[in-house]
This record gives sequence, structure tokens and C-alpha cells, in this order.
Amino acid sequence: GAREVRAFPSGAPEDCRRGAGRACALCRWVSVMAAAGAEAGGARIAVAGAGPGAAGPVGDGATGPAVAEATATGPAVTECEAEAGAAGPVAAEAPPPPLPGLQLVKQGAEAHVYRGLFLGRAAVAKLRVPKRYRHPALEERLSRRRTAQEVRSLLRCRRAGIPAPVVYFVDYVTNSIYLEDIVDSITVQVHISSVQQSGNDTSSLLALGEKMGELLARMHDEDLIHGDLTTSNILLRPPVEKLDLVLIDFGLSFISGLPEDKGVDLYVLEKAFLSTHPDTETMFKALLKTYAATSKKSGPVIKKLDEVRLRGRKRSMIG
Amino acid sequence: MELTHRLELFPECSVSLLLFNRLKNAAALRKKAMEGSIEGALINPAMIVDPFQVLVAANKAVHLHKIGKMKTRTLYAEIIFSLSPNNNISDAFKKFGISDSDTAVLIVLVVDGEKTVNLKDIASQVEGQQVSLDELPQLTDTAKVKKVFTPQEEKIGTLLDSVVCRMSAKDVL
Repeated sequence: GAREVRAFPSGAPEDCRRGAGRACALCRWVSVMAAAGAEAGGARIAVAGAGPGAAGPVGDGATGPAVAEATATGPAVTECEAEAGAAGPVAAEAPPPPLPGLQLVKQGAEAHVYRGLFLGRAAVAKLRVPKRYRHPALEERLSRRRTAQEVRSLLRCRRAGIPAPVVYFVDYVTNSIYLEDIVDSITVQVHISSVQQSGNDTSSLLALGEKMGELLARMHDEDLIHGDLTTSNILLRPPVEKLDLVLIDFGLSFISGLPEDKGVDLYVLEKAFLSTHPDTETMFKALLKTYAATSKKSGPVIKKLDEVRLRGRKRSMIG
Repeated sequence: MELTHRLELFPECSVSLLLFNRLKNAAALRKKAMEGSIEGALINPAMIVDPFQVLVAANKAVHLHKIGKMKTRTLYAEIIFSLSPNNNISDAFKKFGISDSDTAVLIVLVVDGEKTVNLKDIASQVEGQQVSLDELPQLTDTAKVKKVFTPQEEKIGTLLDSVVCRMSAKDVL
């Protein structure tokens, strides 16, 4: 089994999240370790903790005296861990969920994405990857906030009639989301590439661009900013000719009415578009045209978009 | 006849759904459920559009039970609460639990570990006819469900989709 390894921050006892100011054995031990310079040396100490991948013996990365200290305070540490109960350290990476037909789809920066059957339905499991370079308290808070924002955005989309996957289950302990798998769908990225490669009817791409513009206009009119608009975050349901689009991956989304935020959202898409798909300028133009026509608040947004374009890298700011 | 599903995330737990029609002792059953003498959640089938809806609620309830973060006092109460789109417990019971005048009931059992499912024991307490879960759609009151869930997303999904999404996402609001 995997060992749960945890690098301890050199925080003061007051930073301990296990009760404000309570100098628990763990925190006192942390200060001692820091003082001993063991932390600076990057000593990693295995801790017997709750949850998956629970530890075995103390890690072999630790130096001699560190090991002795660790074992000596072992019972105290375990006790502290046990006290923390469910709100234990989020150090170990969550093992893949035991869903039937499980397969790893993507290993993103934020999460591992799996496909499988959940309660008898084709589902996607997004398991957040804990970032160990972050302070655990921050990591926990950030993870939880991102998960909540993603779920909130998905619900908001659906309530407004914007196609997005259905949420099946949210685990706030591991910050994992189980949602609907849009079966046999392809990303717009893959679709555009295949249409361009086969040298086929590229005018259909214009229609696709218009559909995308319309969808994004509706989303922005709900004051929902996607935050990570790329062609691989928009899916096409089968059959592809129907141009039935679904938005996914709302992990970086937020609510905002500011034209600035909407303009930046579009700018991100434009950059992703033009860098991934050559010769799609006309397609993106069609997208913007339909966006402007569909959205009730598009005027200021397009204006901001033009401003943001001038701001980007390698742009002259003179004048 | 009944539907049993092993929860993927909690492999030791299996959920069983039993549907009864032509119910005569709804009042007595409700009383028993309130006392806690029935090992099961008694649900009003008119509010259920698909067994998946119940499985989602059961999965959430079992999860919260395992981490000790249930909002209600028992697992079975939590299942009923999880079916509701809002966080009002008594409202959930009123809408999704059975009432004295009901003529059908959907019973949910959760079996942990090696315990064998005692379906006969439950069935003997019900004065009604057990029917297959396939008959559930006939018992669904779609108008009532729509009134509670007010789905605006008719074109992007089924009623079940909007119901399940609301259920799963309610604690983020």
C-alpha cells in the first residue's frame, strides 16, 4: 500500500487548524523539527493517518535523529491525527474510484479525469490533485472553493438552459465531482482539426462558430465567466451535424457582470483558437458577430475585448 | 422484482428499492417510520421519476453517514432529505415521505456488509402488493415534480437530469 507522506510546514502553533491556538502535540513537534533543521533538510516523515493509503512505518527519507524523534512522538501524533477526524491532512492523492469500467481520460493540472459507470450511468469522475507545494490549509480551502465554484457554475448553467453536464455527486472531503458523461461526444478541437484535415466543407465551421458565439453570449448574459475557454472545453454531441454543443470544465469559473471579465474570457478563447487552429480567423469572426447579435450586453464587452487585445504580449503600449 | 444496486463508492453497501401498490396501511406505516421501528426509508413514489434519482440520494446519504456529517438523525431520514432540492428537513419529509392517504410506497433499504437483506420482513409489514420497479413511471406525478423542482432547462435535458442536478448541487448554494 502507498504510504501517506507529509511535509510539515514550519508554522507556529497558532496556525494549527486543529483548534485555534491549541498547541497540539503535532504543532509542538513541528516547531521542534523546524528548529532541529530537519525541515530545511527536506526530511519527510510518514504519519499513520486516517483515510486511503494510510501509512506504514516511518519513511526512509528521514535522517537518523529525525526518525527517532518521529517514533518517540508517534503515539502523540497519531492521537492528534485521530482527533482531527474527518478533517485530516489532504496529503495523499485520492486513489481512483472503484467504478466499473474505469479508465483514465485525462490528467489535467487540476484533476485526474476518469470515465466509468456510476449508479448504473456513464459518468465522469474528476478527482482533484492535491498540490503538495501549497500550505495544507490553503490547499484545502482553495480546493474546496474551486470545487464549489465548479458545481455552482454547472448548476447555474443548467438553470439558464445552457448545456452543461449534470452533477451526480460531490464529495467535499476529497473535493471530487462525479458528473454526466456525454457519451460519444468529441471536443470542438478534435472536430475542427478533422474537418480541416479531410479538406472538407469548411463552411460548416462557420455555422459552428456562429453556434459557439450564440452559446457564449447566453452564458455571459447570465454573468457567468467560464475562465478556461478553449476548443477542448466545448463538446459536440453526436451526431456532429446537429451542432449540439455542451460546455465543460468550469473549474476556473466565477460570477461577474463586468465587461472586462467577459472580454478577457473571449480573449482567452481567441488566443486558444488561433494558436491551435490555423486559418480560423473567419470562423472566429463569425463567432464574435453572432455573440454581438445574441448578447444584450455585448457592446461594452466587444469594446473591452479590443482593449485587451492591445494589452497582450508583444504589443506596443505607446500612444 | 425489487431493484438492488451495490454502491460503487461504498462497495460493502448495497441499496434495495421495493415498490408497493394498492397500499392500505399508509398511516400505520408512517407512524412506524416516525418511531424508527421500520428498517427502511418510506418514500412517496409520486415524486420519483426514475430509480436513479433514489440511488443518487442514497449514495449521498451513505457518504454523509460515513463521514458523520448527516443533517438528519438517521440514514433513512437522510435519504429522504437528500431527495429534496432545498435544505428544509420538514419540508422534505412532507413532500417526499409518505403521507397517510398514499396508496403506494417506495421503500429503500441500505444493507451494510454481510447482513442479508430482509426483504420478506419488510414486505410482511406492508399491506399492499409488491410490484416491479418498471411500474414506477405510472405512479409518477410529473406535474407535482415539476412544481417542486421548477426546471427551466427542458430543452437541454430530461426532467430526471434537472432533478438530479438540483439534488446533488444543493449544498453549494
